[in-house]
Amino acid sequence: MKRLLPRVGVDPARVEMFNLSSAMGPRWAEICNEFTERIRQLGPSPIRAALGRGGKGGTAS
Amino acid sequence: MSVKTPSKLEKILAAGHQAVTSECGPPRGSDPEVIREKARLIRDHVDVVNITDNQTSVTRMCSLASCFHLKQMGVEPVLQMVTRDRNRIALQGDILGAASMDIHNILCLSGDHQSFGDCATGQNVHDLDSMQLIQTVRLMRDEGKFLGGGDISRPPEMFVGAAANPFAQPHKIRVPRLAKKIAAGVEFIQTQCIYNLDRFEEWLAEARDRGLTEKVYILAGVTPLKSVGMAKYMKNRVPGMDVPDEVVARMAGVPKEKQAEEGVTICVETIQRLKEVPGVAGFHVMAIEWEEKVPEIVERAGLYPRPAMP
Amino acid sequence: MIVGKQKPIEETWAMVKDFSRVLVFGCNTCVAVCHEGGNKEAQILASLMRMKATQEGLSLEIRDSGIERQCEHEFFESAEKDIEWADAVLSLACGVGVQFMVKRYPEILVYPGLDTCFLGDVEKNGLFTESCQACGKCVLAETAGICPVSRCAKRVLNGPCGGSNKGACEINKDLPCAWQLIVDRLEALGRLADYERLAPIKDWSTERAGGPRKLIHEEFMK
Repeated sequence: MKRLLPRVGVDPARVEMFNLSSAMGPRWAEICNEFTERIRQLGPSPIRAALGRGGKGGTAS
Repeated sequence: MSVKTPSKLEKILAAGHQAVTSECGPPRGSDPEVIREKARLIRDHVDVVNITDNQTSVTRMCSLASCFHLKQMGVEPVLQMVTRDRNRIALQGDILGAASMDIHNILCLSGDHQSFGDCATGQNVHDLDSMQLIQTVRLMRDEGKFLGGGDISRPPEMFVGAAANPFAQPHKIRVPRLAKKIAAGVEFIQTQCIYNLDRFEEWLAEARDRGLTEKVYILAGVTPLKSVGMAKYMKNRVPGMDVPDEVVARMAGVPKEKQAEEGVTICVETIQRLKEVPGVAGFHVMAIEWEEKVPEIVERAGLYPRPAMP
Repeated sequence: MIVGKQKPIEETWAMVKDFSRVLVFGCNTCVAVCHEGGNKEAQILASLMRMKATQEGLSLEIRDSGIERQCEHEFFESAEKDIEWADAVLSLACGVGVQFMVKRYPEILVYPGLDTCFLGDVEKNGLFTESCQACGKCVLAETAGICPVSRCAKRVLNGPCGGSNKGACEINKDLPCAWQLIVDRLEALGRLADYERLAPIKDWSTERAGGPRKLIHEEFMK
């Protein structure tokens, strides 16, 4: 996924995979916070931006 | 071995002389003077001159036309022919073309892979391999037949050669591979450049034990080293080349300006030692883009003057 | 099996972006094994293309679908609706599948999403290697079960050539020399003497050189 996203203009830092067990609640919260912060710093994705401009393409199916 | 063709090389070998051959690479252009000039430098010191066929897969003036230029100046050529670029129609056609110019020697090779040359995106053909090309020339010459079965009017009269590399891997089939080429019909062999003399002598002894040196003339290949850089390059970068550490050290042991001279001396000493080895029928002196050194090497090695042949 | 590799998305995107209904169509057998053209890969590619479409402000609709094999009529039924919906299909099958669809749906534009590479095996997870060129006249009985036609860069039948280097081919040190493998195997089988049998000049008319080939079983043709 990280290899594919840059090919369509999406920063690969926008996706991350973590492997956690159900007993790792605190770590899960930590990751959520860190990742939310990362995305906040990266700003809106180019797709969101395009949709905001009124791009109507890419009907999800 | 009785003489089967008008080849000067064959006559010299059959008369029991140690033959001296060399080679010239055609130019990257159409000026015949380039090939003539190279031939002039060596013509009095060698018996015949190989003309390479788009060597290292770099496009050049064709071997056949270059052979013709040599022939016109009275130098006997060995037509090198690789199976990389032509199918059996073109190969047979070119053999007839060469025969029409009375070219009497051919060296059958597979050729370097095209990825090394200037047309890496091109096709390779390999309709035949080098052994099958040997068989093809023998069929055309001895039976006057094409591969397709038809008769040839005025069949080619060619002395048939091939390459052998005593140093390549796998080692265990080096002599069997020679035997296989002999079974295919090869009559003379020019070997890969020899720097590891012990290994070469081992290979030759094994060939002698199998009686192979009675069936084929083996010309030992030598190439003078120009510099320690060239020695290292040959050792490390050229597949199937065996340059022992002692040779690299010996080149490195003399000052830069004396290295070329040392390289020539090593080459002369190689010939002098191998001259005495039973089964060595002659020498193939490949001075790569250094043809002017061939006379000196041949003279110092005691192989000059060359025998005159009718 | 047939091994293929997805074309760069820039190339496939240029093929389909001017249509309004595009179907990315997987082929879930050979090219799924090499993770390039299966139904899963079709889903991923369709989604990437939707991201591209959004960013470029294009209004095309992109769907994905797939079947087990695009080279045989009987598998197409489940996808018939998707195919008829589309005005262009980006097929992730090998060249055989793409052309089969062209024959089956002459009115729909079918584009190749893969470069078909070779006939190969799964040497290990993630590594696919060529091992047959369908020459039409198998020589494996004479070469210790190792194919010089597909695995030697010069397809020499009486090898090795002078470029065999420490067990590798001269063109790439990571590519084993087929003839080294043949010689090693002959030796291991105690049949090294067979090495000296000359391979005859090959009849290439059963290969590509003889033109497109056919296999006919009349008893099955009704």
